Amino acid sequence: MQAVSDEQLIEWVANGDASCLGTLFERYHTNVYQYCLRMTRNPGYAEDITQEIFLRVLKKAGSFRHEGTFKGWLFNIARNLTLDYLRKQKRHAAPVPMDEYTESQLVDHHTAEQAASGSEQIGTLEKALASLPPHYQEVIWLGRFEFHSFKHLAQALGCKTGTARVRMHRAMQQLNVAFTDLGGVPHDA
Amino acid sequence: MPDKKTTSVPFESVDTAEQNLWTALGDLPRDEPSPDMRRSFYQRLEQASSRRWSERLRDWLGMRNNAGWITASACVLIGFGVAQLTNQPQPGDQDRLAALEQNINLLNRELILDRLQDEAPGTRLAGVYDARNVVADDAQIAQALLQRAATDRSSSVRSAAIGALGSQLNSDTVGGELMSLLENADSPIVQLALADLVLRNGNAMQLAQLQRLADEKRLNPDIARHVNKSLGSESI
Repeated sequence: MQAVSDEQLIEWVANGDASCLGTLFERYHTNVYQYCLRMTRNPGYAEDITQEIFLRVLKKAGSFRHEGTFKGWLFNIARNLTLDYLRKQKRHAAPVPMDEYTESQLVDHHTAEQAASGSEQIGTLEKALASLPPHYQEVIWLGRFEFHSFKHLAQALGCKTGTARVRMHRAMQQLNVAFTDLGGVPHDA
Repeated sequence: MPDKKTTSVPFESVDTAEQNLWTALGDLPRDEPSPDMRRSFYQRLEQASSRRWSERLRDWLGMRNNAGWITASACVLIGFGVAQLTNQPQPGDQDRLAALEQNINLLNRELILDRLQDEAPGTRLAGVYDARNVVADDAQIAQALLQRAATDRSSSVRSAAIGALGSQLNSDTVGGELMSLLENADSPIVQLALADLVLRNGNAMQLAQLQRLADEKRLNPDIARHVNKSLGSESI
């Protein structure tokens, strides 16, 4: 049997069947969490925001229009809540220091073998990405991992397709500069 | 639909360094959320949806401040309506039922994992019995059972978890973990559960390992006798 589409599920949620949100949560919570973690660099906050996002989906299910994909709409909500969080953080508290998170990432993910093979460059790339403004980080992350077309990426970003394309190119230029500044050595593809 | 494989927009740049960076981005680590997040979300969803349903119902009936008997009458009417509706299958009902079934399975799974981590040994035992039916298809539940088998402070839970893993003795991961448990088990109850499991379902290599442990006197003497007797009678 073919799986029920996301759009059908959200329609059922909008009609009052909240249990269908569980299926959507199972399909997307890891991706949403990874995006939130990238933006907040704090696993605890990322988990809280991820839950808030899906509860917001429950509340706003009726406003989903079938003009784009559910995933694009979901990530648009994710983006708004995450940027809200970042704005509040900026006003009220110090964010998690970048190096603390990137270092923990390296400890978690780098085996001796990987380090020996020169993949410490990934650590530099992590730092370079984290040093970019949030709107560049998000376009890179979402474009690299979540969407396969600029049209869908634009829906998530709440902008036009051309704008998403331009933003991506500027973000990649900045990433290249930051990576080189941090001593990263470009390697062959 | 979620993307199982990494997808990305078609980024193309004339700058080779940027293009290489784009490729390298694919190697960035992507962490998984903790299992607690799922549990916490479903609890919040349950609270949110129950409040939402009751509020919607009251709003819909226009009886936010009305007496209880009106609500009761409305519920009878709604019940009658639902019964009528369920007798007339609608297009798309199969898909909806499949989605609901999927949800029920997910919630059952969460319940089992919750029970396996409960403070009360009785609840953990209940979790072990529930897990018995699904362990073959679910690696996470198998891992949770292994954890119970290896570290639970109640030996009853440990031996029950070992029993529940019986069907997995010949799988590479679980089988190896169970045999390693057997090597290190101190509790006679746990030793007995493991020895019994190996005697019933073990392959030749596992039986030889059990015999070796008995010969090296690393098992409780009564259990070693039981093993020798069982293996001896088998060889006759």
